[in-house]
Amino acid sequence: MTKYAYYPGCTLYTKARNLDLCARKAAEKVGFELTEMPSWNCCGAIYNATSDDLAAQVGPVRNLAKASQLGEKLVTLCAACYNVLKRVQDRLDQPGNEIESERLKTFVDEKFERSVKVLHYLEVLKNDIGWDRVKEKVTKPLAKLKVASYYGCLMVRPKEVLGFDDPENPQVMDDLMRVLGAEPTKFDFKAECCGGYLVVNRREVAKAASQKILDNARAWGAEAIVTTCPLCQYNLDKLRVLTDGSLPVFYFTQLLGVAVGLNLDELGLEHSAGDPAGFLRSKGLL
Amino acid sequence: MATSHPSSELLEQLQTLSGQNVSDCYQCGCCTSGCPIGEAMDPPPSKAIRLLQLGKAQELLDSEGIWMCASCLVCGTRCPRAVDYARIAEACRALILRSKQSRVDPDTVTVPELEEIPQQAFIAAFRKSSV
Ligand code: SF4
Ligand code: SF4
Repeated sequence: MTKYAYYPGCTLYTKARNLDLCARKAAEKVGFELTEMPSWNCCGAIYNATSDDLAAQVGPVRNLAKASQLGEKLVTLCAACYNVLKRVQDRLDQPGNEIESERLKTFVDEKFERSVKVLHYLEVLKNDIGWDRVKEKVTKPLAKLKVASYYGCLMVRPKEVLGFDDPENPQVMDDLMRVLGAEPTKFDFKAECCGGYLVVNRREVAKAASQKILDNARAWGAEAIVTTCPLCQYNLDKLRVLTDGSLPVFYFTQLLGVAVGLNLDELGLEHSAGDPAGFLRSKGLL
Repeated sequence: MATSHPSSELLEQLQTLSGQNVSDCYQCGCCTSGCPIGEAMDPPPSKAIRLLQLGKAQELLDSEGIWMCASCLVCGTRCPRAVDYARIAEACRALILRSKQSRVDPDTVTVPELEEIPQQAFIAAFRKSSV
């Protein structure tokens, strides 16, 4: 079984435990193992885009240095960690940035063995495992469940740096849903912002942005939404007023988990709003 | 030719910090129309850049808009002139924070949802708006 160094980040140890748990179990089912990297620190949660503020890059650089001692690849799951670590690695590698890069590397008291390839779990599934092998492991196909894949901002932008997928119409999660037997719906706001961290002190703004996304997904006939970011999950799931017929919001790993036969207590559904377990039961999936 | 506009030094600083050249913007409005916060953001991205073009950098620094940007990067992704407004807003905030003026004091945030909101959001929000 292929082993990957894994960076969980702060939120996957606390408020998004369900994303972490389910992801590790599902990985074992499809044939890879996530080994948590030792003594990681916070990635900073948001990329600092000013040209001169090197202090803000030190945290992520230290993680990258540590990871570089373990191997070539580092797997992430939280969209924010993915965005920050990948952008900082890119900044270190940019031609012309050699002086800044050397300075940053000397700030952290860790040996930098190589340039680390920061991967998202979805990239491991798609490129390293492959959709065919994932498909072989499906024991409970999501029989035509209409799912809107919501990517948000951090997975897809800036495109030149992340190179994850099309920034306006990404497909990876849709492909995964198809492999799991679901029917990915079209929808206009796949990569629209949910309001992100504005939820902390501009709750109404984040709420309006999130509601627009939910309404659009529903208008396209979605029965559920999948996401990969704890903050998107929170904003879409918890900011709305729950009414009958509200769309359940899942992590993609939870639907992957259902399809590869994880049991109810491995899915961590109790952290979500509404009754996602009841929803899955009504679809004959639990 | 550099003029001796009082605001030119500030503008210079913002351009250096953000790596953006405000005269690249031809005011098509594409950034504003795609901004998910655009309706609530004052000024929205294209108007903010216009202020800079007109030498009114201080006016932008005093605005609410720069604190409303969610750093979603839609504006820069769609800009036909490759201007990244998110970085300009970041530079504006940085200048204010560096003069030791917090916008949000973490100690005073008492949202009832404190227990629920992912800490990723707190870290991001405070890094963007507090010293
Ligand atoms: S999209 Fe670009 S060119 Fe158009 S107004 Fe915005 S910044 Fe200016
Ligand atoms: S990065 Fe900021 S200004 Fe640009 S579209 Fe997103 S929220 Fe609007």
